[in-house]
Amino acid sequence: MQIFNQVDSPDHVAAVELKNVSLRYDDGPDVLSNLNLALPPGSFHFLTGASGAGKTSLLKLLYLAQRPTTGSVNLFGTNVTDAARRTLPAIRRKVGVVFQDFRLLDHLSAFDNVALPLRVAAAAEPEIKSNVTELLSWVGLEDFMDAKPAVLSGGQKQRVAIARAVVNRPRLILADEPTGNVDDAIAMRLMQLFMELNKLGSNIIIATHNEQLVARFGFARLALADRTLSELPPISTSEASGIGRAVDEAQP
Amino acid sequence: MISLRTDLPLGGDSASRFIPWLVAIMVFLGILAVSGVSVFDTILSGWSRAVTGTVTVQIPALPADSEKEANQARTDRAVAALTALPSVESARVLESSEIDALLAPWLGEGAAAGDLPLPDLIDVTLTDDAATTLDLIRTSVTTVVPDAIVDDHRRWFEHLIDLTEGFRLLTIGVALVVTTALALTIVYATRASLAEFKEVISVLHLIGARDIYVASQFAKRTLSAALKGSAGGFVAGTIALVAIGWLAQNVESGFLPDIDLSLGFWISIPLVSLFAATLAMVTAFITVLGTLRSMV
Repeated sequence: MQIFNQVDSPDHVAAVELKNVSLRYDDGPDVLSNLNLALPPGSFHFLTGASGAGKTSLLKLLYLAQRPTTGSVNLFGTNVTDAARRTLPAIRRKVGVVFQDFRLLDHLSAFDNVALPLRVAAAAEPEIKSNVTELLSWVGLEDFMDAKPAVLSGGQKQRVAIARAVVNRPRLILADEPTGNVDDAIAMRLMQLFMELNKLGSNIIIATHNEQLVARFGFARLALADRTLSELPPISTSEASGIGRAVDEAQP
Repeated sequence: MISLRTDLPLGGDSASRFIPWLVAIMVFLGILAVSGVSVFDTILSGWSRAVTGTVTVQIPALPADSEKEANQARTDRAVAALTALPSVESARVLESSEIDALLAPWLGEGAAAGDLPLPDLIDVTLTDDAATTLDLIRTSVTTVVPDAIVDDHRRWFEHLIDLTEGFRLLTIGVALVVTTALALTIVYATRASLAEFKEVISVLHLIGARDIYVASQFAKRTLSAALKGSAGGFVAGTIALVAIGWLAQNVESGFLPDIDLSLGFWISIPLVSLFAATLAMVTAFITVLGTLRSMV
């Protein structure tokens, strides 16, 4: 499968680097304040934090939908803080995003939605067909290639959104609550897809407040609280089982 | 073949419903304007050929008591002088019956023109390169008949030519206004579409689409809508032309030259349709590119 080729990334340059980054919208208070972060190539992180802690804002800075108010953002060794508009597409093609609200194009079929990143990069149609078909099969949507988003369930849309985010083998994959709408079995399968892509060299950041998910997979955490970011080690096994128990107990 | 596949919804928004109608109307008007210019051009060149190709020489009749033969001699001298000129193809004295026919509208049928002291008229046909030889003709004729009048008909035609030239310019103006109106309306419609598809465009940008990709999506979509409209406008315009042509055939007039439109004209009619569709496409492309580039 072509999309599972090794990502070619030099290992001496940080994939993501934030220096003293702050963000505020208009004249409001700081949403993010003085963030510092350096992620080596091939890292896998959960981004955690309470609702409204700024997870989505941080992701927006990383997929260049938002520029920081102060500080600098570097992706793959390139300072993108004030990057010229014409240079943005090339950088964005190295970043795959799973939006919290999916942002699928409603008039396009699942196939065409997933094909978009390849089409905007002018890939050849046979290559598009084989990659998209294979990926949609991987996420279990081989029977829904021609379906429009309106007839797909929330979980199916989420899988289309994930397929679209990873189809062009981005070096950085940002996912905002990517398992929020799927059942456990599918969630495991999607996590497996992310881990597979990570093994092949992509950096992964998954924003979630599903603590069970964070506990089950032993990846380092980026925790947002009080507008600042701290890098935390994976939840230890005992912590994890504690959370697992707590979740189990919470269920009737 | 260029694929018209686009990532933008087709037919769903106000612009794609509106553009075919707009283009159809503009193509229709454009075809009428281009036809108008061609018809006026044909009339003008027909008249101008008539003006430059012939000259009428009047030999005024001597006072009534003079001999008829003296008049005849003056006319013969003039004809001889004229035919001696290399730029004159032929010089023919109009028969009295022809003069009667010319006077009939004013004097009534059967008026005895012979009783009036009418001038003799010499119809002179010039060779093709004779456009500037009027002075030479005038000199030669007045040398033998001092009071002869050389008329190149220009006086008759000048005002008509001016008027027709005015109509021709007006029609060119109409064509330019139609073109400008089409372009401006496409700019407006495209801006409305940009606002309508803001979310789609934002997603395309975030997955790495360049402005040029988005602009070409709009261009393809506009071309597809405009082609439908221009086909409609072409059909309507052609029907109108055939109808006008049929009406014009029924007009019998020696006054208007035969309006025999050239092959070039018939080729220009479908070109008007293609031009309108291309103009719409290019305008949409430039508008999107301009609007996106002005964003930060």
